[in-house]
Amino acid sequence: MEKTVAPEPKPTPNPAEYGAASITVLEGLEAVRKRPGMYIGDTSTYGLHHLAYEVVDNSVDEALAGVCTEIEVVIHVDNSLSVKDNGRGIPVGPHPTVKGMDTVDVVMTKLHSGGKFENSAYKVSGGLHGVGVSCVNALSEWLHLEIQREGKVFQQKYARGVPTQQVAEIGTTDKRGTKVSFKPDTTIFEVTEFNFETLSQRLRELAFLNAGLKITIADERTSKNHEFQFEGGIVSFVEYLNRSKVALNEKPIFFRAEKESVSLEIALQWNDGYDERIFTFANNINTHEGGSHLVGFKSALTRTINSYAEKSGLWKDLKEAPTGEDAREGLAAVVSVKLPSPQFEGQTKTKLGNSEMKGLVEQMVNEQLAIYLEENPNAAKKVVAKIGDATRARIAARKARETVRRKGVLDGASLPGKLADCQSKDPSESELYIVEGDSAGGSAKQGRDRRNQAILPLRGKILNVEKARFEKMLTSAEIVTLITALGTGIGREEYKPEECRYHRIILMTDADVDGSHIRTLLLTFFYRQMPELIANGYLFIAQPPLYKVTRNKKDTYLKDDDAKNEYLLRIAGERTRVVTQAADLTGEPLQELLKKVITYKQRLDKLGSRRDPRIIDALVQATDIDAATLLDLEKLSDEVEKMHPYLEARTPEVLAQLGMVRKADPEHQSKKLVFRSEVNGTPKETVIDHAFLSSPEYREMLALRDAFHALGPAPYAVKLGEEEASARSAQEVLDAALNDAQKGLNIQRYKGLGEMNPEQLWETTMDPARRTLLQVKVDDGVASDEIFSLLMGEAVEPRRDFIEKNALYVQNLDV
Amino acid sequence: MSKPAHCPSCRKPVLPRAKNPLFPFCSARCRAVDLGKWLGEEYRVGGGSADEQEDELPSAAGESDSESGA
Repeated sequence: MEKTVAPEPKPTPNPAEYGAASITVLEGLEAVRKRPGMYIGDTSTYGLHHLAYEVVDNSVDEALAGVCTEIEVVIHVDNSLSVKDNGRGIPVGPHPTVKGMDTVDVVMTKLHSGGKFENSAYKVSGGLHGVGVSCVNALSEWLHLEIQREGKVFQQKYARGVPTQQVAEIGTTDKRGTKVSFKPDTTIFEVTEFNFETLSQRLRELAFLNAGLKITIADERTSKNHEFQFEGGIVSFVEYLNRSKVALNEKPIFFRAEKESVSLEIALQWNDGYDERIFTFANNINTHEGGSHLVGFKSALTRTINSYAEKSGLWKDLKEAPTGEDAREGLAAVVSVKLPSPQFEGQTKTKLGNSEMKGLVEQMVNEQLAIYLEENPNAAKKVVAKIGDATRARIAARKARETVRRKGVLDGASLPGKLADCQSKDPSESELYIVEGDSAGGSAKQGRDRRNQAILPLRGKILNVEKARFEKMLTSAEIVTLITALGTGIGREEYKPEECRYHRIILMTDADVDGSHIRTLLLTFFYRQMPELIANGYLFIAQPPLYKVTRNKKDTYLKDDDAKNEYLLRIAGERTRVVTQAADLTGEPLQELLKKVITYKQRLDKLGSRRDPRIIDALVQATDIDAATLLDLEKLSDEVEKMHPYLEARTPEVLAQLGMVRKADPEHQSKKLVFRSEVNGTPKETVIDHAFLSSPEYREMLALRDAFHALGPAPYAVKLGEEEASARSAQEVLDAALNDAQKGLNIQRYKGLGEMNPEQLWETTMDPARRTLLQVKVDDGVASDEIFSLLMGEAVEPRRDFIEKNALYVQNLDV
Repeated sequence: MSKPAHCPSCRKPVLPRAKNPLFPFCSARCRAVDLGKWLGEEYRVGGGSADEQEDELPSAAGESDSESGA
């Protein structure tokens, strides 16, 4: 066996004595190898990484003592690990009390050895639970040490905790430090691969806890690496915790105090989120289970903020005092204490037991947080407001829970009395009609198919807010009734959309403002609190008819104005005939043409809000002006001239006040025409410019006009049944035809569901064979809730607009 | 065209439905707050002016306290 020869003579232990000492050492380490779990937790992932932390903690202890600034961790390709620091280096030379052993071997092979247990080399130390690096040594297939100390480099090697040589001096250096390399024993560990991310997380934490300490980690297996160094210490830690949030107090609040060889550091910052994230440490060990320092922190935080807020009067409207949880909503905090002899308790030994820490932390937070709040009124105000919000939110949520519980929504025992349930218990064929108002509810109850159609009348409540303004709401009793009828329950734990008793929920409201308000409220409620029902396609809107037409004693129900026009056109097609030199139209071809006339009139009406429709009509019908014409002044005046006879023949009253000027349109390097006329006594300007003449609307009107040319030049002879009339334009043909079609018809407009009797309601709106339903779909991309907010907001105009365009997000569906 | 949706309770942007079981809310807390408002009768749809409602309201609408349509 080859012996390493020390280059410089030094007292070496007698081989026999060395052997004897080794035996006692082996006894200690043998116990570690026999029951590794007792020392490092387990022999799986947790225990394996524990080895790394144990070694790193020794280096961090050097940093705590102020003699180390850098730690390098490397995961090697063979899953061995090396940890190098620039601390003082493990002492080399004969141990003062253990006779015949080198200090290095004592540190590395004796349990509970090392500076932190025996003397004051370290004031405080992390040393995980006191097992020491000797455990790592005992559980490693091999462990190599390289120590730079007092200008020399020493080396020592172990196999499963046993020295394989004497400490050897192998060179000289001007640096100092310790490098520990080890490979966990594969006969002990089930898991032998170090995880880069797991180690990184702990090393990042250590770098935060030890401001300025630089810790690097490199993974030779994958070439990943990190460098952690935070001059801000735990302030940086808190900033890191809040990195993706919006902070309330711009800079984290930071306190530190030193008392009776104990040092305390706390950093905290509120963000606009709702999670509470408090990390506590004792001597760099993450005390996951909390302990005395956390208790002290929490109680002081609540008390200090409460007393500040009381003085400031910011919580005057609160019905009850904020709790600790309210105060910690959205709080990110790091509490780090360092103390001489930490006691760890709890399941995983990560709960700080030293009871004196509670008072120390409490006192520091009480004093310093109060000062901070006084000195930073802006931040304090935001924090206090946030806590007020949290309190209000908690109260609101609790009230909701209580209401739901009190009204027995969750008992499932009894269905509400207002509900007329269906006979079927199979949700897939069951329908719930939510009907506005009691009278319509009565008709619906009589008219329905009771086998699978249930009726729930709701009417909302009207509130008179100001003299001229009324608001509508659903009462809490109605909401509870609705939830009970649906059978889904509500709230965090109790809501079960899969238990919905109906797979078709049909909102049946009047076609008036009141009805649309109730519908909006119900849609919003479903969208927010029961979105799954919408996603499953369970929610529908009924389509009661707007008109009832009686012709030859036969009733026809018409859903809306379009349906009414369609109906009248069909009659017109039957009764009307237009004979001109160019054409002879009746029946379907005439209907088609008249439809185009209707479209044309609708377009004119739309344009009418900003222009005089009579002038636009003359422009479209009589001239041939396009955007290019604006540049051709001669042609332009010729064309404009053609409008005259057209207007004169049809709407001579326009000509009385008509004026026209030509203006420059520098944006299009063109001209524009501005007509001045009067509409119902008010002056109106009609601007014909490049933008208008090149718009799709204008082009569509031109196309429609060309279709009317099929009739040839006006006037037209129109035969209406037995009668005859003359028309000067396609519009007049339409008017005459529709007028004639309405003769002998009784058209009744339904204002509300209540005007229909049960039979009518069934026939038009509830009979699956004949009804039309709109299925409610909410697209994720469309920020639907913005729309609802609009509906619930203060701005009245956009809301009314939206209600008119309600069909935007509902899809037509015949069911 | 898809704008991020905002939490109806706290107005913060929320993750899309596919990634967020609490959609349209950002958190269980905000959902509970919303439910509390429904049950507390805090949500109202307004904007109906007096003449639109006159069918259903007593003529002394301005003075009448609240309820109608009974």
